Amino acid sequence: MSAAVDTTCSYLSPKASARKGILGWMLTLDHKRIGMMYLFGILFALLLGGAFALLVRAELWTPGETIVGKDWYNKFFTLHGAVMVFLVIIPGIPAALGNMVLPIQLGAPDVAFPKLNLASFYLWCLGAILLLVSVVSGGLDTGWTFYTPYSLQTKTAVIPAVMGAFVLGFSSIFTGLNFLVTVHKFRPKQMGWFQMPLNLWALYSTALMQVLATPVLGITLLLLFVERFMHIGVFDPNMGGDPVLFQHFFWFYSHPAVYIMIVPAMGVVSELMTTFSRKPIFGYRFIAYSSVSLALLSFLVWGHHMFVSGQSKLANMVFSALTFSVGIPSAIKVFNWTSTLYKGDIRLETPMLYALSFLIMFTIGGLTGIFLAILSIDVQLHDTYFVVAHFHYVMMGSTLIAFIGGLHYWWPKMSGKMYPDRISKVAAIGVFIGFNLTFLPQFVMGSRGMPRRYWDYDPEFKIFHQLSTVGAFLLGLSLFAVVVYLIWSLKYGKVAPKNPWGGTTLEWEAPTPPTVFNFPEPPEIPEIYNYDDFVDAPDGGVMRKPGGTSAAGSSGAH
Amino acid sequence: MSEPSHDHHDDHGHHGSRFIQHHYDDAAHQFDSGKLGIWFFLVQEILFFSALFVAYIVFRAHHPEIFAYAHHYLDVKWGAINTAVLIVSSLTAAWAVRCAQLNQRKGLIACLSITILCALGFLGIKTIEYTHKIHEHILWGKYFDPCVASAGNHLLNKGNNCPGFRSSVTWDAKSNKAASGCLEGEFDREPEVPGIQAECKVTEVKGANRRPVEACAEEGGKSTFPCWELSANPHVCPAGPGALIIYGDHAHHGDVTVEATCEAVPATAPVGDAFAPAAKPEVEGQATFRRNPALTKHERQHLFASGPPPEHTSMFFSIYFAMTGLHGIHVLVGVFIFIWLLVRAIRGDFTPEYFGPIDYAALYWHLVDLIWIFLFPLLYLIH
Repeated sequence: MSAAVDTTCSYLSPKASARKGILGWMLTLDHKRIGMMYLFGILFALLLGGAFALLVRAELWTPGETIVGKDWYNKFFTLHGAVMVFLVIIPGIPAALGNMVLPIQLGAPDVAFPKLNLASFYLWCLGAILLLVSVVSGGLDTGWTFYTPYSLQTKTAVIPAVMGAFVLGFSSIFTGLNFLVTVHKFRPKQMGWFQMPLNLWALYSTALMQVLATPVLGITLLLLFVERFMHIGVFDPNMGGDPVLFQHFFWFYSHPAVYIMIVPAMGVVSELMTTFSRKPIFGYRFIAYSSVSLALLSFLVWGHHMFVSGQSKLANMVFSALTFSVGIPSAIKVFNWTSTLYKGDIRLETPMLYALSFLIMFTIGGLTGIFLAILSIDVQLHDTYFVVAHFHYVMMGSTLIAFIGGLHYWWPKMSGKMYPDRISKVAAIGVFIGFNLTFLPQFVMGSRGMPRRYWDYDPEFKIFHQLSTVGAFLLGLSLFAVVVYLIWSLKYGKVAPKNPWGGTTLEWEAPTPPTVFNFPEPPEIPEIYNYDDFVDAPDGGVMRKPGGTSAAGSSGAH
Repeated sequence: MSEPSHDHHDDHGHHGSRFIQHHYDDAAHQFDSGKLGIWFFLVQEILFFSALFVAYIVFRAHHPEIFAYAHHYLDVKWGAINTAVLIVSSLTAAWAVRCAQLNQRKGLIACLSITILCALGFLGIKTIEYTHKIHEHILWGKYFDPCVASAGNHLLNKGNNCPGFRSSVTWDAKSNKAASGCLEGEFDREPEVPGIQAECKVTEVKGANRRPVEACAEEGGKSTFPCWELSANPHVCPAGPGALIIYGDHAHHGDVTVEATCEAVPATAPVGDAFAPAAKPEVEGQATFRRNPALTKHERQHLFASGPPPEHTSMFFSIYFAMTGLHGIHVLVGVFIFIWLLVRAIRGDFTPEYFGPIDYAALYWHLVDLIWIFLFPLLYLIH
């Protein structure tokens, strides 16, 4: 059986697996194949979650009933949230892109625990199935947050959804654990911590949060599950339980979860900014440290979700102050990316369009976050569309945009094919316009008092809702186009060169697509983020000048 | 971790154990990676349990009286034995690692076997404790109902009779030396006023109480010793219609016959009914109580000493079952892991070069042990 594996061929080739056909993929231990499976699973979930979003927006086209009644509306926004958060955004960058790229950027043959890696993929599948079960068995109307006591009372399918989220949590934990050990134990000796690509710093910080925060979600959901099944009473005020304790537990995970979403996106964007500016990243160490400090701060701010849940004034003030401090590492990053652009030789390739979109949208999302951290303002804006717009700017406008950008960036390497250039740029612009058209009006609505999660609204909000709906459909169409042309390019795309962008990190030294163990022989560690010695390569890409200055062990930090 | 052949395997010249996977440099690399992995996993485990500890802290801080009361239901003896059992198993687990390092196969097999036996012993004792509690309805949430009893003793001789519905009587008997369990009785006579819907207020009880019933004095609506006190907490003792529930003396002496006089107090007069509230029929009757053998002496003493449970006592048992249940699941998983290791040890898989799985399992086991070391005092040894 093992004799059939040809480790010198592309990981996509049937010869790369000892097993034939589909089993060669389903039972693979190759991180790249697992990453690819994740990618297609996540893209499917993205379309599903997107469909729910469009149903929500369609319903809000007019006040009162447009297409469905209020019960269905509650289910639509709940399922949109649950699918997008648990199935798409949290696993998106780490599990799909991270799985493909992390070992290669380290020059490693695989992640530390390949079987665990495959197991986390199947846990993801199981979680997805359970969420789908809850969709078809009557839906879910608690909101993705499962707040008690409503989640104990509703007749909708809370149990499969909670089980799904629990299982997905463990998928996330195992991925994080794998990445932590891989970065620690598979980093070549010549690559010190500060010679790591920033993407790895970000993935490392993310993994740290995944391992430290997700178990708390696990036990919380388990308690909720037991509560519904056996009426244990911990969150049930009728039995002396404490429903606000659930919110504390939930946000102790789910605030770090927000950073589990955004920090890897920052890593991707750091790579895109420097590569497409043809300039060393500005403030390497600051970006690296700010990733880690965001990971640490993320554990200290959960209370800002509960300013109006009856927390003590002292707790509110402390959480408010701590929340402001999150602005510091975030702003450091924005400053450094902008400085990287300054006097750079900017190439507006599709991934860069997404990176620039990220820069704008993350800034908006981050600054509005500061508004919400201010106690007096938050009381006003809590549970309004302002909050909805704020977190969509961060989760979607930043994380998902970076995910799509990173996908375009690494797509040639992973699939061996180029995506269609012009369509992809049109789609990127469509995503940008569609996104802002969707969510900018929501800031206005929210500040004027439109509450979130409402099915009906005052006619004065109609114009904003309609703008938002138009934007959402444009956004949906653009993202759908992305999925379609990426799949199209698998078969019909141009063959990709080894290094189409002139990237300096290790993955661009690997064959395209990478071989089974990524590198035929252990690679020399290049000097990252040095763009001085690149020349055009015969394959249509860019390559380092033969005999250039790339030397192992020299610092990537400038 | 164990399969010798998989996608990645080829004839890459690893020397030593066939269990060294291809993508590792050597045995040490694999061992170190696994070790770091298991440590991260244990951190994850600690956080997984942490929410339960936080819940414990929150509820104990808010309701210390519940914890002070309810822990008496737990049997320190079993808890202590289980602590010892787990510590022994932790020792043998650590010893197993040493045996593997020294290539002592027999010692390894012995240590793993003892660890498994201890783990099963722990679960056995836990089963005894759980079974007892299930019997006694000493459970979580709304299932906490230690008075609807158990052990097949609906101990009641239906010798007494009280018109109307529920009467729950709590015995407050500080100075009596004997303890009792939770007893219930029913009055045997049919309601004298047909259709009456009333609670029975026991006005006089003879026999169960050596003190003269006349000494009963009402203070602020609550009767004081040695009077029977009406329990107003149906959560605690929701006995059936016409039942009389007694915490108090005599139960352990065997059957006790009580004579009681009851006054029917109309609780909810049916709307539009011609029932006249002025009619307060008194009835007399007898109930014979047998002591509830399923309660331990400890519990009887406790019940005797502390009177009716504080409100939401069930919360203690919610926490107790959540924490010990989750811990028990971890012990059970540990049993399976050690059985798997035992099979592999008998097969001779482990060598001084390759013993990672034993080391990792032992680390996991120590954590499970450690969590119990916290649970035991937090739940059993409260003062």
